[in-house]
Amino acid sequence: MKLLTHNMLSCHIKGVQNGFPFKIEPVKVEQIDADYDPDFLRHIYPRLEWKALCEAAATMGAPGLPEEVTEEMLQDDDFLRSFHHALLELVLEEGSLVCPETGRQFPVHKGVPNLLLNEDEN
Amino acid sequence: MVKVVVQNNCGIQRSLAIAAAQVEGIAHQVAERSILLKGFLELWGEGETWEELEASINAFSEEVKQPWLQPSLSMKVVIDGWGRIINKQEQSEYHERLEFIPFQNPVKLTDPDIVFRLIIANCYSNHGMPDTVPKRMYFGREVGVGNRRVISQYALPKRVYLGPTSMDTEMAFVMCNQAKVRKGNFVFDPFAGTGSILVAAAHFGAVTLGADIDIRVLRDGKKDTSGRVADNWANFKTYGLQRPAGLIRADAHRPPFRETLHEILDAVVCDPPYGVRAGGRKSQSKPDLQVRNRATHITSTAPYSMGECLRDLLDISARLLRVGGRLVYFLPAALEVYKEEEVPRHPALRLIANSEQVLTTRYSRRLITMEKVLSYDREVAAAFHEEQGDPRMAIDSVPSIVYEPRQYVDGKLVVSEKPANRPKYRSKLC
Repeated sequence: MKLLTHNMLSCHIKGVQNGFPFKIEPVKVEQIDADYDPDFLRHIYPRLEWKALCEAAATMGAPGLPEEVTEEMLQDDDFLRSFHHALLELVLEEGSLVCPETGRQFPVHKGVPNLLLNEDEN
Repeated sequence: MVKVVVQNNCGIQRSLAIAAAQVEGIAHQVAERSILLKGFLELWGEGETWEELEASINAFSEEVKQPWLQPSLSMKVVIDGWGRIINKQEQSEYHERLEFIPFQNPVKLTDPDIVFRLIIANCYSNHGMPDTVPKRMYFGREVGVGNRRVISQYALPKRVYLGPTSMDTEMAFVMCNQAKVRKGNFVFDPFAGTGSILVAAAHFGAVTLGADIDIRVLRDGKKDTSGRVADNWANFKTYGLQRPAGLIRADAHRPPFRETLHEILDAVVCDPPYGVRAGGRKSQSKPDLQVRNRATHITSTAPYSMGECLRDLLDISARLLRVGGRLVYFLPAALEVYKEEEVPRHPALRLIANSEQVLTTRYSRRLITMEKVLSYDREVAAAFHEEQGDPRMAIDSVPSIVYEPRQYVDGKLVVSEKPANRPKYRSKLC
């Protein structure tokens, strides 16, 4: 699972108010090259929760994304490359996603998070 | 004028269509992206008989023909039989018959400068399928060839990991074309399974995301004969495609996306589970259940009716697509109960296309293409669903219609409201 996916997900247990973002407990993180596409990054940026991406990247061993992003930075190759790396090249292979409200752990195994709720959580 | 020659995957159906493409370059570009298109011809002549064809070619503008009939350009003439196979002997006979055209060109069979095509349409039988091409001959110069090579490049039999419901390669590419998937898009398949639609989307350069409720299909895959693991990741790797941004085990009925997530996707392309080959499942609520060990607990699921599944699909698409983004999915249709007004609707989505693919004499499926035309409004959507009421559709009884013997009362077909109550096959792992 890449951090683009992490940025979209939240805990949807019935009654949970603040299920976003999942806290990542990494066991195995891989770095896998992905095609660098500045247009995709500029297109996707306004749809992301930036703070959650910065924190997730730091947890996964890539700290240093700036807290604020300006229009100029979205034209800057150095910034876009670090954004690209955090969003699409850090892969959570093994570990878990932890609901910030309930502490419920959703396991990530072989890169696939299991977000299916149990019968008593729906 | 350019003649558009379309080849349909269930034989040849309404296969010849005439279109005007003024600029050869555009025809070439269109052909390059097309899957169902055989190619574009600059049409030099046509006719039902050889005499008519010859007269038609002779009457065609010398000004257009002459530049292509020069000794400096190598050529080959391809004889295409439509509706039946043309054997070697007939082929050479037809080549000879075309000698009235003053070709000066040297013949070169591999990679010639020009390809001429003689199409002989003769569909005397289409195995009971509707509509065939009328008997006729066409001759012209090829100006673009459809991109049918992707079908062999991604052919299922050669794929590392596949399952019984893997979308066939040709259709997966057609679906991505309907969804206008292109480089830099973000494409989601909520019923990803073995990922064949995502493979096609990734081929076009999209970033992909897949979900499925069946974790064994999505994540675990299987071992091949030499003990290597064959799974979704392996498919992307062997094709040299971008690994999906995520494959997540989730329930389409309870999508695990944050409330604030909107307009992030360019396309949703999927083949929802319908129960003819793989029945839909969703999670179920049992508030009083005591889960002793969350790590080992196996969650039970409940059946997911098609009407409900499609309502969820349209709603999540309406929310997550950008305006102008497309939803493309297959809707099963039993010929006897299909009603156009039952094709699900949504206030934010507009129906673009509804194309039938005949599968058997009793069962077909329809490729539905919708486009997001308005931004998503939760209240409007909720009110619309409220007004629509029970989402159950007549085709929720598709499995029984397809598999059960037909019942007639007074010569009229009786369609049972509910699927027949049969014991379900369950695998050992369930």
